[in-house]
Amino acid sequence: MLHAETNLTSVPDYVLRPPAGFYRALNPATKLVIALCTAALAFVLRGWLAPILALVVVGATVARARLGRAFLPFVLATLPLLVSIVLINTFLYPGATDTLFVVGPFRATGSGLTVAGQASLRILAFALSVAVFALTTPTDDLLADLERRGLGRRASFVVGAAIQTIPRLAARAGEVADSQRARALDTQGSPWRRIRGIVPLAGPMISGALSEVEERTMALEARAFSAPARRATLRPMPDDQAQRVGRWLFGLATVVLIVATITGRLALP
Amino acid sequence: MIDVQGVSHVYPDGTRALDRVDLLIPDGDRLAIIGQNGSGKSTLVRHFNGLLRPTEGRVLLDGRPTADRRVAALAARVGLAFQDPDRQIFAGRVRTEVAFGPRNLGLRGAALETAVSGALASVGLVEQAERNPYDLGFSSRKLLALASVLAMGTPTVVFDEPTTGQDLRGAERIQAIVAELAAAGRTVIAISHDMRFVAESFARVVVMRAGRVILDGTPAEVFAEANWEELAGTYVEPPLAARIGARLGLGSTPTDGALIEALVGRSA
Repeated sequence: MLHAETNLTSVPDYVLRPPAGFYRALNPATKLVIALCTAALAFVLRGWLAPILALVVVGATVARARLGRAFLPFVLATLPLLVSIVLINTFLYPGATDTLFVVGPFRATGSGLTVAGQASLRILAFALSVAVFALTTPTDDLLADLERRGLGRRASFVVGAAIQTIPRLAARAGEVADSQRARALDTQGSPWRRIRGIVPLAGPMISGALSEVEERTMALEARAFSAPARRATLRPMPDDQAQRVGRWLFGLATVVLIVATITGRLALP
Repeated sequence: MIDVQGVSHVYPDGTRALDRVDLLIPDGDRLAIIGQNGSGKSTLVRHFNGLLRPTEGRVLLDGRPTADRRVAALAARVGLAFQDPDRQIFAGRVRTEVAFGPRNLGLRGAALETAVSGALASVGLVEQAERNPYDLGFSSRKLLALASVLAMGTPTVVFDEPTTGQDLRGAERIQAIVAELAAAGRTVIAISHDMRFVAESFARVVVMRAGRVILDGTPAEVFAEANWEELAGTYVEPPLAARIGARLGLGSTPTDGALIEALVGRSA
């Protein structure tokens, strides 16, 4: 079969990467709109309903995309923040008098606990909706699609580099730590020893990241990054009328809900 | 002495990098580890100083298992110079960078100064001692990384791809360092894809493929024509001298010296 955008008669599966399941097969822009709108609704709207609805959407997406255990680290990553939110609001909420119980000098209050619960749900819904998007959408697919929609080549590079920096830095951090531990840097000793290890660990990370930027820039220029020609993409991004309408409707509904809530025309429980 | 007993290592992503490796490295050995990329060489040497722990089996260093010892303690016995110097350089001066390892091992004052100066002299960077490491070229930074491990004075020194990026002069300097260390009775282990360097500088060659040791012997034994098919299986090409010697029917001549000697012997 002739590939519409590339004029290739056959494109191997490892290039086309046929997506598994309905959600993963959606256009990257559709998944981005779902994630951003869900996150915005969860974060901006007050009360219980919005974050609970957002979590329902996220839960349905997780099940639909069959994310399974891959999702757990994202849930666990939010725990420290959630615990601090619950503790601070429950025990230190300003002006609250409806005491539930007392722990030493601290009083847990009902209104503090309510605020903590709502804030926790908002954080959870916000973080997880973004996590679902990240887990189901390869960065290069998203960038290729955004570039096709008119995002500048340089802008797409900046976005892509920013997203890809995190895993690259993580890999580099492991190598740097191994190098310094091999020179007897004790990263498992006393707090003082650990503090002393910051410069030897951070130094190569930062200098390496900076020199990598320079090398990547030159490598891109060597491969005609600045050439004015329109680039062809190997992988087509599936998109259809239903998705286009869905994106606009979801986006508009989100804006309307947020504006209506902020202006006081809509009060959510 | 390093004693690798039935060691397997499986990375978290499920990759089995080592598969029941047995290897005994006596004190004072000059050992080169070769094999295709991904054959398990780097994973193996990272077990020598405890950076990696075996999934199965055990590694004994001087008779004691490495598994229950901290890397910082093992680093006093096994120095490991990594392939990429830029993964370790952080100091503003070459001298400070070299002093980092021995200082971590507790050296101070004159002892530290002697260790640093000796290591800088070994790699030929004495005149660059006060310069910023990042003002040096890649090959000099690589030598700096070697110096920073040499200065630790460990009984065992492991080099990961030491000749990569070196010109002839740099490669000869590294060969001299290996000879110096061996003459001092220290164990020298190197991972390399430079077969000439391997044949010229090491007394023993271990060949790895798919996480296993497939050949182990002297350069003359490992690079003998009978093993070429096995070597090709792990994308290793014998040194030029070995191939010329085999073509001329001179037997196994892995080094330039061995080839010349065989040629002289035949013409005499």
